[in-house]
Amino acid sequence: MTEIVTSQTPPILHGPSEKEKKYDRQLRLWAASGQAALESANILLVNSGAGTVGVETLKNLVLPGIGKFTIVDDAIVSETDLGVNFFLDESCLGKLRSQCCAELLQELNPDAQGDWYPKEKASVNLGQILDSMPMYTLIMYTLPIRPEDLAAIKTYGRKHQTPLISIHSAGFYSYFQINLPGAFPIVDTHPEVEKTVDLRLLHPWPELVKFSQEMTKDIDSASDHDHGHLPYVVILLHYLEKWKEGNGGEYPTEYKAKMAFRKMVSEMARTNNPEGGEENFQEAVSAVNRNVKKPQLEQSLEEVFDHKLSNEVEMSSSFWMIARAMKKFYQKNGCLPLPGGLPDMKAQSSVYVKLQSIYKAKARKDALEVLETVRSSPGGKDVDPAEVDMFCKNASFVKLVNATAEGRDFKQILQQEKQNDELAEAIGTPLSLLPIYLALSATSHKPLASADEIKADIVGIWPDVADDMRVMQSSEEVARAGGGELHNISALTGGMVAQEAIKIITKQYIPIDNTCIFDGISSRCQVLRL
Amino acid sequence: MPVKSALPPSSQLPACPVQHLPLGLSSVQTNDRTHSRRNMDSFTSVEPDFVLTHAPQAKVLMVGAGGIGCELLKNLVLSGYGEVHIVDLDTIDLSNLNRQFLFRYEHIKKSKALVAKEAAQVFNPNTTIVAHHANIKDAQFNIEWFRGFTIVFNALDNLDARRHVNKMCLAADVPLIESGTTGFNGQVQVIKKGVTACYDCTTKETPKSFPVCTIRSTPSQPIHCIVWGKSYLLNEIFGVSEDESAFDHSEDADNANEIAELKKEADALRKIRDSVGTEEFPQLLFDKVFNADITRLRSMEDMWKSRTAPEPLEYKTLKEEAPVVDEAFLQNDQKVWSLAENLAVLNDSLDRLSKRKAELIKETKGNSEPPAITFDKDDPDTLDFVAAAANIRSYIFGIEKKSRFDIKQMAGNIIPAIATTNAIVAGLCVLESFKVLKGEYEKAKEVFLTPAGLQRLLAPDRPRRPDPNCPVCSVYRLIVYVDLAYATLDDLINGFVRKQLGYGSKDLAVSTEAGVVYDSEEEDNLPKKLRELGIGQDSFITVVDEDDDDTFVNVILSIHQATEPLGDKHIKDLEPDKAPEIPRKPKKVPAVESVVASQTNGKTHALDEDPNDGNNKDLKRARQDDSEIVRLPKRLKTTTQSRGDDVVIVDDESGTGAIVIDD
Repeated sequence: MTEIVTSQTPPILHGPSEKEKKYDRQLRLWAASGQAALESANILLVNSGAGTVGVETLKNLVLPGIGKFTIVDDAIVSETDLGVNFFLDESCLGKLRSQCCAELLQELNPDAQGDWYPKEKASVNLGQILDSMPMYTLIMYTLPIRPEDLAAIKTYGRKHQTPLISIHSAGFYSYFQINLPGAFPIVDTHPEVEKTVDLRLLHPWPELVKFSQEMTKDIDSASDHDHGHLPYVVILLHYLEKWKEGNGGEYPTEYKAKMAFRKMVSEMARTNNPEGGEENFQEAVSAVNRNVKKPQLEQSLEEVFDHKLSNEVEMSSSFWMIARAMKKFYQKNGCLPLPGGLPDMKAQSSVYVKLQSIYKAKARKDALEVLETVRSSPGGKDVDPAEVDMFCKNASFVKLVNATAEGRDFKQILQQEKQNDELAEAIGTPLSLLPIYLALSATSHKPLASADEIKADIVGIWPDVADDMRVMQSSEEVARAGGGELHNISALTGGMVAQEAIKIITKQYIPIDNTCIFDGISSRCQVLRL
Repeated sequence: MPVKSALPPSSQLPACPVQHLPLGLSSVQTNDRTHSRRNMDSFTSVEPDFVLTHAPQAKVLMVGAGGIGCELLKNLVLSGYGEVHIVDLDTIDLSNLNRQFLFRYEHIKKSKALVAKEAAQVFNPNTTIVAHHANIKDAQFNIEWFRGFTIVFNALDNLDARRHVNKMCLAADVPLIESGTTGFNGQVQVIKKGVTACYDCTTKETPKSFPVCTIRSTPSQPIHCIVWGKSYLLNEIFGVSEDESAFDHSEDADNANEIAELKKEADALRKIRDSVGTEEFPQLLFDKVFNADITRLRSMEDMWKSRTAPEPLEYKTLKEEAPVVDEAFLQNDQKVWSLAENLAVLNDSLDRLSKRKAELIKETKGNSEPPAITFDKDDPDTLDFVAAAANIRSYIFGIEKKSRFDIKQMAGNIIPAIATTNAIVAGLCVLESFKVLKGEYEKAKEVFLTPAGLQRLLAPDRPRRPDPNCPVCSVYRLIVYVDLAYATLDDLINGFVRKQLGYGSKDLAVSTEAGVVYDSEEEDNLPKKLRELGIGQDSFITVVDEDDDDTFVNVILSIHQATEPLGDKHIKDLEPDKAPEIPRKPKKVPAVESVVASQTNGKTHALDEDPNDGNNKDLKRARQDDSEIVRLPKRLKTTTQSRGDDVVIVDDESGTGAIVIDD
């Protein structure tokens, strides 16, 4: 690697087009906004312990282009490092591990700026260093770690509201845990496209009603061509009105009524043609189940509406201002702002375009109403309309991760997992990976603990597991690893951690909540909120 | 079924090649990187002999040095594998650098295989790395060669090569670890002949093609206009001829008149081609495709009864509004260009492509047909051309215009690719390889990355069994030693297949990769030499039993030149008393033999769509019993692209790619 490094003259990419080209394959996942978030991110890695999993994680963040990273690590490169850490070779022996790794990682992407501590061989006082450092977007630390270092990181995280990720890889096991500084809202959750269709068939607005009525006023005498080209939205709106007339003003919202309504619509299709039916009516029938529904508040959004702002950061955040405006909108209108998209359907192009513009216009109007509410609220003048638009478009899918800080009763989780395992054993489904977490946690500060020490440690805190065979087995495996990392397990774990880190940095997609335990023996992982 | 513990006892630990696994913080180390005695012993005390001898002695093949490949090579080297061969025909592109970390800016356009070897070699001098900058389908990589490997890893990005390696590994009976990624999704699968399902046991999604008339006469979506620009217009002007694979001809008969008209249109366009490079060319082309052809279409009144009729455009009026395009303008990928801007870009790209064409003609000096310019999503000239032409056509037909960024994705069938997914998938591949090394196929897993399942992230499943009707793996394979100088088809069929293999007087059909050479109605080829039929060293010949009863499974013969004289028979007899026991086909479903390897990429995992009911039930029951079973993603696409970049559904560079809509 050294040869490659010294022969390098990596040019910084200029201009949007070169950069776009380099990041093309990922821009298609998180768009320019996600990329911008990555590029302005400043990541700290406290690389403790064997040190591979942290560097592998950082590698997966440097490649897609994080702006800055810093490695804190006072270890000196030894032979042990060479075989397990891809970013160190023989020329690094005796040098600072932090510096060597930072320089080699930097080589991966000239767009990223790397730094390291300590600058000279000496033990670090992490608390002191952190105090003198800039704000970090995210801090990652690897275990085992010195207790005082861990305390310093936690203090910093609390003080600056910084998300923390802890990572522990030993032998065939690993886990990582995300600690977010309070409720963490995500607007751009990337739901599946099909789920985002909202036609408002049971809550139509005047323009849509008018358009639909005009198109269907002579529905029975319409030419076959016109009849066969009515968009299914219009067909459904028309027959929903008819249905209401015959059903005491009620919409078909229950399963049975929906079935009857489907039958009614399908019977209205003309069959005097070679196909024996009409495509647009078929589309209408198959859209009934998904689209004939009352506007409903998703539980995730309800959590957002019910959330009590707990600190100044939240008070002044544009997200919460928009959320409040959104709640007002919902209370006033009985539904959320219209997302405005219209799926493809059989129709004449001109009619489809008109219908599309009716949906778009309504979406704009709704978004404007929300924006006005935001603007008139204290501090809401500077909120970006694009942010309001995004919120309106994704309203049903907005997600509050880590909504409540409380409710993590570890003892209860232990019992729950134990109960699940009893059931799992009976039906042959996978067992809990919590014992792995327990065993790894017991070596958070002492990598060379023996199996007995690990067991004693666990049982000391959780006497209930004293006779749990799997806790014993996990302890033995962790002891066998002796704090050593397997490159392959650490590389894989580094991939998973970086994936979640990217979600947190870009505020796109939903990160796991909050602990992922990996078992390399069964190639399996489990996510638990611990 | 007895309950399995999620954590097996130590003896069940996957084999771990300890010699190079540095496990300890405080371990004993030597300069040659046999590390960490203390932990090595503890981890592998179970079977130190096995791990100490096997991984360093294993010779593995990695096909593909792209996204998964870079990560995999690093993991293999640091897991102590003794010898790693890399095959990749590709060179490094700028868009690889966001994840293929063995490559740097200065390596662009260099061989992936060679650069990857250089970069990784430093990290474990004890691993022998051999790089082949070549196509895995080359004749040099024959069955014999494949047989030399302990394990083969597929880190590929296209269906064609995946299928080829799958077939070769089955023929050579070498275990294959197959993997793929798409964005956050990924999959790893262990393929072992006769034990687990092969790559072709599940039908792969074929790319979507469009009826000719939709593309040429009645487009209604942006993709129709993009396909028109890429597969028709670009090829007619700068390529060889129409890109046929993008078109579905099944409806041609219904539209015979229109098809005939379209042929005339294309002929007229080819004439304009002669004026490429002249000053008049842009207008000639424009008048033809955006005016004359549209006017003709518009005159077909029947066509526009239920559609909005297209509006022909006037070059002169539009040209006046067209701005000057400069570098800065062209760099904005996300903007949707106005009609006049599209014309400006079209003319600008025509200018660039015409100059390039002139260069190509100059280079060939009229000695041969100059090479065609074909669409490449990473070639801005062809991309600009297709984007602008498609947008102008969209405008004419009242279809939404798209930004170049979007058009690139649609035309290039780009599938997102990131470092994180590759890291996870490559790590899983190596974990599976430990089990394969130990021969523990029953412990192997087929693992899916399930980014949507936030409670799980990874979904390991017990490996599927081979599909008894699979045309690729549920066949009987045999090597035949032949004197290629003399052997005829008669020698092979009547002398060998019927007499030696026990077909007797069965009805049978025999085909090569080019097609059927013999069946009950086609016996003319019998006196011909095998060579005359294109059969040579390493050819595959498929023998299909056409009897309804007691039907043999298909037999695939690999032809090898005999090294000893064979006398009059020209084909080496089987050892006495060693007549093969050819398995019989399952009764109800006739096996379909497909010899084609279509030029498409990508694969779909579609367990739920297994057509074989009986088999499917069986699988379901088995899964309920499996202690590791988790919900399988219903449809998981793991597609990867042919060259250059990781993931795509269609092989564009080959020029025969059909078009896929990923919807």
